[in-house]
Amino acid sequence: MPIYSFYIFDRHCECIYVKQWLERERNSLRPTTSSGASIINSPLSGAPDKRISAGTIADQSLRTAPGRLSVQDDAKLVFGVVFSLRNMVRKLSGPEDNFVSYRTGSYKLHYYETATNLKFVMLTDVKMSNLRVVLHQIYVNLYVEYVTKNPLSPVEHPGGEGVAVELFELGLDRFVQTIQEA
Amino acid sequence: MVILSILILNKAGGLIYQRDFNEGLKKLSSNDYLVLAGTFHGVHAITSRISPVPGSGGLEVLESDQFRMQCFQTLTGTKFLVFAEPHQPNIDVVCRRVYELYADYVMKNPFYQIEMPIRCESFDRHLMAYIKPKQ
Amino acid sequence: MSNLHNPASPFVPFSPNPAIQSGVASPTTPLSISQKTPQLGSSNLRYASSRKSIYDRHLNRTQRSELSKASFAFLFGEMIQYAQKQVSGIQDLEKKLNIQGYSIGQRLLELLLHREGRSAKRETRVLGILQFVAQTVYRHLFGKPADGLEKSRDNEDEYMLIDNDPAVNSYISVPREMSQLNCAAFVAGIIEAVLDGSLFPSRVTAHSVPTEQYPMKTVFLIKFDESVLERESVMPNN
Repeated sequence: MPIYSFYIFDRHCECIYVKQWLERERNSLRPTTSSGASIINSPLSGAPDKRISAGTIADQSLRTAPGRLSVQDDAKLVFGVVFSLRNMVRKLSGPEDNFVSYRTGSYKLHYYETATNLKFVMLTDVKMSNLRVVLHQIYVNLYVEYVTKNPLSPVEHPGGEGVAVELFELGLDRFVQTIQEA
Repeated sequence: MVILSILILNKAGGLIYQRDFNEGLKKLSSNDYLVLAGTFHGVHAITSRISPVPGSGGLEVLESDQFRMQCFQTLTGTKFLVFAEPHQPNIDVVCRRVYELYADYVMKNPFYQIEMPIRCESFDRHLMAYIKPKQ
Repeated sequence: MSNLHNPASPFVPFSPNPAIQSGVASPTTPLSISQKTPQLGSSNLRYASSRKSIYDRHLNRTQRSELSKASFAFLFGEMIQYAQKQVSGIQDLEKKLNIQGYSIGQRLLELLLHREGRSAKRETRVLGILQFVAQTVYRHLFGKPADGLEKSRDNEDEYMLIDNDPAVNSYISVPREMSQLNCAAFVAGIIEAVLDGSLFPSRVTAHSVPTEQYPMKTVFLIKFDESVLERESVMPNN
């Protein structure tokens, strides 16, 4: 079952990591990575053909098909949606309730929020079962291991600084692969 | 099947009906419900915009730890939100039926003003008769 | 949405109005179209294969035909809204509905007696005509007999015809500020016309008497004219 994209938002409501596995019309299955508006300092980002890194916003909008939003705008909208729905859920059934997921006719959005107010969002196929555990594993096994514990990584990640490191990206790719094949 | 609450939104996102059937959700002020309906109306529009695949409609099912909400939007833009306990299957059937009752007892009522809050006694009565025996 | 159908049609085509046939009516009525431009048969929605309108059919042909309850509900809703625009009070509105029903009742009586054929007889007794209304008329309109027929204990000249769930009201919720209104005044008008037409002059009004079991219960109060009671008193076997 396809996984379309993955987002991390920090406690300042900023998108610190985006990855889209969109199946574009011409170059199918070519992954697109971007992290904020900054240039990713991952060594892999330079590798040609294998991976296209997000440079500037202009760069991004060039690649998006007409009618589609740029990755940054998409991320802002995704954040707006999960933020509103999370507040709506809490208003309706109390602060102890958590927003888990929603689905439309053609995709499903999974949501997981850590105690430190990090928000993990994944967009998948409609038929995917609940991925909250998976998002939790990404947080514990990948984010904490490779980003938080990385001595070179800053405490905060303005503009996605220090999140898109090689080990994290590799781990994420491998992890998502296993879910997709499952 | 336990239905907690039903909301109906008109095509402009205004709340025209709200009713609780079982304990489970917090009781909000009527103003809060109006705000909530407006917010949801906007979110619903965005959810179809951010779809990674083309041609997606808006939000259909929302799940939280404590409830599951089914949203059914008619071709005319009216939205029916049905709140039920988590992991309830077949709520879309409930939505359809509520829509049918709405078409019968609201739209065929000569005293109902379109797009305005629903105050139709027979709609209430039939909705109650449909929802309540399900438990 | 609803696919409910009334077992019997509240409205059946009546005999053609001579005024329409002579071309007095507006040219948009189906009948005059068929007369003036007979080649306009492309839309066979309203015409039988013989290109004749329903008014040309035999009166007994549509005897058991059915009518969508939903379409009736929409039509009746419009009739109420139309009447509402022209009146100031609830009583006025009921009067308007009564008049709308009255003109139907006049024609309906004629049709029903015509359909009874040779067995038709003119009712001369109060009970006889009330039975006719509760059975024949009601069955024709709503596909079921009335739910009850009672004589008032207090007034000699009053009878009550009971309908637990009037078909015309099934989709109507009367707003609280108009709680006196009962839209079955329309049916009351039909009944009144049938009684009047049978020479039992009377006044018929509809009243809501909600009960736990039947929230839409309606009582039609039939108040006969003095002359009816006088005549009844001199009838034999009384």
